[in-house]
Amino acid sequence: MISRAKHSFRLAVLMLLAAATLLMSGIPVSAAAKLAGQWMLTINIPEGPNSSTNRTLVLNMAVSPRNGSLHGRVAITDEAGRTVSGAWRQVGKRASIAFEMPCPGDVPCASVILLGKVKGGGFVIKNGTVIVMWDTPNDRNPALYDTSNGSFRGDRLQ
Amino acid sequence: MSRSVRFVALLAILSCVTQASGGRSTAVVQEERTLAGEWIVRSTPIDGKLTSPKGITLGFPDRDMVFEQQGDLRTGVVLREDVGQDVRPLGTWRVMGDEFSTAFQLWCPDTNGPCGSIVMRGKFVRDDKINGTMTAFFDVDDPSTPSGFDTWTFSFAGNRVAPAATGGAK
Repeated sequence: MISRAKHSFRLAVLMLLAAATLLMSGIPVSAAAKLAGQWMLTINIPEGPNSSTNRTLVLNMAVSPRNGSLHGRVAITDEAGRTVSGAWRQVGKRASIAFEMPCPGDVPCASVILLGKVKGGGFVIKNGTVIVMWDTPNDRNPALYDTSNGSFRGDRLQ
Repeated sequence: MSRSVRFVALLAILSCVTQASGGRSTAVVQEERTLAGEWIVRSTPIDGKLTSPKGITLGFPDRDMVFEQQGDLRTGVVLREDVGQDVRPLGTWRVMGDEFSTAFQLWCPDTNGPCGSIVMRGKFVRDDKINGTMTAFFDVDDPSTPSGFDTWTFSFAGNRVAPAATGGAK
C-alpha cells in the first residue's frame, strides 16, 4: 500500500516537472493548436491563371495573437524580402489565412486564402488547401475572376 | 520688332506652355491611388442573387471600412458597430494603378455555422469613389465551382468619408 502511494507521488512529481520544463521552454503548451507565432509556409500553386505548371513559394509568416478577438493579423515575407499583411481566424484546429500575394509586378498577381488544420500539438499544418483568385477577369467563373487551387504546408519556427 | 521675330517668339512661348502643361498632366497620371482612409461601402446583388448557391448570405449592410498603410503593411478593418463594438473583421489590400484588391476574413461568432473569406476587386472612379465586386468563398465544399468552395459574388460602390489618418502613410 505504502509503496503504491510512493509510486503515485513520484509519478505526480515527474508530471509536474515535465509540465514546468515545457512551460519554461516557452513552447505554447496551453495554446497547443493555436496559430499565433512564427511559421514557414511552403505553398504550391499554378504559375498563373490556367497554367498547368506549378511553382513553390516559401514564405515566412508572423502571426500575431488575436487578443480575445475572432481575428488576428499576419505579416508574410517572401524570399525576395517583400512583406505583405494578412488576416487570420481559427476555430478549433481549423485555421484560415487571407492575404494579397507579394508580387514583383511582372507576373500575374492574386489574392490568396489558405485553409488548414493546425496539428502536431500546434507545430504543423499538413495538406492545407489554397484558393487563389487571380487578377484576370473571367465571366464564366462564379468568382468573376480566374481561380486556381493549390496546397500548402506550415511548419512552426517559434 | 519685325513680324518674323514676333512669330518666332510666339512659337517659342507656345512650345514652352505646351511642354509645361504636358509635364503637369504626366505628374497627375503618375500619382498613385490609395485606399488608405475611411470608406462607406454599399453592396447590391448581381442578377438578383441574394444568397450563395448553398444558401449562405451576408445580407447587404453598409460597411464602414478603414484602410491603413504603415510602411509595406496595408491593413483594413470593417467597423461593424451596428452589430457590436468589438465586431471588427480584418483584412488587407493592394493597389495596381486605378484598380485595387482586398482580402478579408468573415466574422463568424457561431462556430457551428459556415464561415469564409471575402475578396474585393474594384477600381477608382475618382480618388474618393470606388466600385467593383466582392467574392465570398465560404468554407463549404461545392464541387460545381472551379475553386471547389461555395462561391457568391455581389457588387459594391464606395465613397471615401475620411482621408488617411494623420501620421500614417498616404
